[in-house]
Amino acid sequence: MNKFGKYTLTIVAICALGAAIWGAQQYFGRIDADKILSNSVLKNKTFAAQVQEIEADGMKAYLLEEHSNPIIAVSFTFTNAGSAYETENKQGLTQLLSNMLLNGAGDYDALQFKDISEEYGVRIGFENGVDDFGGFMETPTAARDMAIKLLTSTLYKPHFSYNYIALAKNQMQTALRNHKEKPSGILADKYAEIIFAGHPYARPAIGTPETIEGLTRRDLMRFMREHLTKQNIIIGIAGDINAADAEQLIRDLFGALPAQFAVERIDEFVPETNGSEHDIAYNSPQAITHFVSKGTHRNSADFYPLYLANYIFGGSGLNSRISKVVREKEGLTYGIYTYMTSKETAALLSGGYSSTPENFNRAKDILLQEWQKMGTNGVTAQELQQAKDSMIASHNLRFASIGGIAEMLVAMQQYQLGIDFLKKRNDYVRAVTLEQANAAAKTYFDGLPDFVTIGNQTSDKKEK
Amino acid sequence: MMPALAQAAIFKAQEWQLDNGLRVVIVENHKAPLVKQMLWYQVGAVDEFRGRGGSAHLLEHLLFRGTDKISGAEFNRIMEKNGADSNAFTSYDVTVYHQFADVSRLEVLLALEADRMRNLKISEADFEAERKIVFQERKQVVENNPASPFYEKIRMMMWGTSPYGQPISGLPEEITALKYADTLDFYHKYYAPNNAILVLSGDIDAETVRPLVEKYYGKLEKRPVEREKIAPVTENAHQTLQMSLPHIATPRVLRAFMLPPREKLQNEIYAYDILAELLGGGETAQLYRDLVLQSRQAVGVSASYNYMTRSNTVFSVTMTPNTEKPFTPETAVKTLNEALLKAKKTLTAERLAQVKRKISANMVYLNDNPQTAANWIGYMLSMGFELDDVQNYEEKINTVTLEAVQQAFDNLLQASDMTAVLLPQEQTGGADE
Repeated sequence: MNKFGKYTLTIVAICALGAAIWGAQQYFGRIDADKILSNSVLKNKTFAAQVQEIEADGMKAYLLEEHSNPIIAVSFTFTNAGSAYETENKQGLTQLLSNMLLNGAGDYDALQFKDISEEYGVRIGFENGVDDFGGFMETPTAARDMAIKLLTSTLYKPHFSYNYIALAKNQMQTALRNHKEKPSGILADKYAEIIFAGHPYARPAIGTPETIEGLTRRDLMRFMREHLTKQNIIIGIAGDINAADAEQLIRDLFGALPAQFAVERIDEFVPETNGSEHDIAYNSPQAITHFVSKGTHRNSADFYPLYLANYIFGGSGLNSRISKVVREKEGLTYGIYTYMTSKETAALLSGGYSSTPENFNRAKDILLQEWQKMGTNGVTAQELQQAKDSMIASHNLRFASIGGIAEMLVAMQQYQLGIDFLKKRNDYVRAVTLEQANAAAKTYFDGLPDFVTIGNQTSDKKEK
Repeated sequence: MMPALAQAAIFKAQEWQLDNGLRVVIVENHKAPLVKQMLWYQVGAVDEFRGRGGSAHLLEHLLFRGTDKISGAEFNRIMEKNGADSNAFTSYDVTVYHQFADVSRLEVLLALEADRMRNLKISEADFEAERKIVFQERKQVVENNPASPFYEKIRMMMWGTSPYGQPISGLPEEITALKYADTLDFYHKYYAPNNAILVLSGDIDAETVRPLVEKYYGKLEKRPVEREKIAPVTENAHQTLQMSLPHIATPRVLRAFMLPPREKLQNEIYAYDILAELLGGGETAQLYRDLVLQSRQAVGVSASYNYMTRSNTVFSVTMTPNTEKPFTPETAVKTLNEALLKAKKTLTAERLAQVKRKISANMVYLNDNPQTAANWIGYMLSMGFELDDVQNYEEKINTVTLEAVQQAFDNLLQASDMTAVLLPQEQTGGADE
């Protein structure tokens, strides 16, 4: 009783005002969010983002003009050029490349390159994914010429000096050691190794101490020549630039890349999961687990039905089914979630959580019950409507930053979503029927996911 | 050196105050139909009672669990249905609730945020579950990182008995002992319109938004809020810490300098800000040139200046030594200290002008994502700056003289400071022998 203290008294006081008006008060006092929305002066605010297709030197690109702030963003990605395309004993090469492209090029040594970039507000960077090698350039409109000079220098005349290669390799070795200090880092590597066994995705993305040591200047030159070409580049441009200038920009930036791409796509990986458990011994306050099952590719017919089913199950955050039962109701974890990934050659439905040993198995039991319930009963019409409403209402969040828009334009082309995707996307979501969502739930929540876990899973230390 | 010119205001922003004391700032950004709402309560972990660490943070969690008008899970469901990216955070000085959403949903966001300033209604079961969640959060975010004890110890040593020395999450034993009534007291004591700043940023204008803010927040009553002032740390001390921890593979060296609070510094904070940039702001800064590129004693080094606090501001330098070279904790510290002393000679008019050009050139990005403005303005106003300080930031930076930067450097070397080294566990034996 006294735990409620003053608060209980407040409630009592309200009731004492009289039972007769209590019901009415409660009714008029409630917040009706739907009504607020339908009466809001802002409800009709809309926005028509116009995506244009442009082309230069045989390279197609998407452009979204936005002139309210003088910035131009270019996002580009070279497909089939990520770490999965490194040869077996050259792991870490694309990571080294993304670093070395900023360490001196053309007329500028590394310090000059970085000083000038910063003084002009030009932001250039590279990122090595598993499948792709990506890059971006953001520039104030006024500094466009300098931005072009800097990016073309690095794409065509990188120095790859021996001094900087030695430094970059040393930094990678340090980053690798740091990565393995944390249970989450160890788990990420082991997870890839176990789940993707036999496939290039199984390799550690940063490499190993031995493979990093063996990387050379010649490896960098060769990888660039073979993997960074006109044929496998995808370009998105957004911001303060018109179509004619954007086409010229493409010519200036990418026109001199090699024409041909001759790398073979790696094989499709299809996960076959059966609820297996792989445990890694480690003494940490919480056990951390990742689990995985089969998913679907971005451009498959199952995509939106499964996206919605997963959203309801564990994809939407605090309001998802598993978050409500594992986190909100029982307080067993800080966060539990599932997500869909569609890598170039693997489509997955994955998830994770971490819990102290006394909670870990309870959380897992509930998760598995919910998983099976999803596979058997699917979702309700009400849940599906809520998920659709949410996806549609949040559609515009993708336009928050110019760099983000440019990246999205790349994704639209990469997954062949069509130039009218932004106009049609909400219709795709609306069109999903309860039957389709439940068919997806049945297909993808059918078997059990595989688990890879690090740390103590039970408070009885002797057991593990 | 180019003359410093008067700069235009950075944001298209306006500020006003409601009769109940709520400060409101709006920032216009019409790129897309989006809006960020951030409500900054002027209360944080430093305002907790001693021994009840974690109550500010737990309360922040409880605000997602319903009010008289929105039952339990309804809050999260409505946010989700409206596509809002909804979250909150607790720091030493502030507790902040925020959403990013389509601007058509702004009224729903205003209604829900205003409602939970006053009408929180939590069951005992909800309280118990949420306390378990923040306990798990501490385990996951802090304790599952093997380096955390090092950084928590540094904080404790530097701040001594000040509440800034305690972890925001609370200690595990404090979290498990938190009481329902204490947390609710905290809510009633500090959650009031006159103790909050509302920042709205996005596809909005004052004419449309003013009546809406008034409609939802205007009816909340003003309440007396007394926030105790926390005495700054004045004792001058030179402390050292050497710690070795399991799982640690890479040594780290940290130097931290305790500087006066913002109100004692005035425009000097901009000199420290520039100094951090010159010494350790990325891979063109002096310490990186010296320690990473030239002497090769380190593989990484950076400096930063934190003035987003109501108490002492802190300047810190961190270095990751190059372990391919012979390494001992003593030589690593010596190397960093020597590099710092040597760096004073590189504080020239040319380098200062260059840093100013870099800061100016990047201002244009502040108006890209509307969330950036909301976050920066909210922090600055919460720490006692005025909207003009934000709007004139570029000019403030441009008026910093070389003498002021050199003076800041000298002050740093005389400040109360900390030298800390984190080592892999097996290295302890070697160091002790």
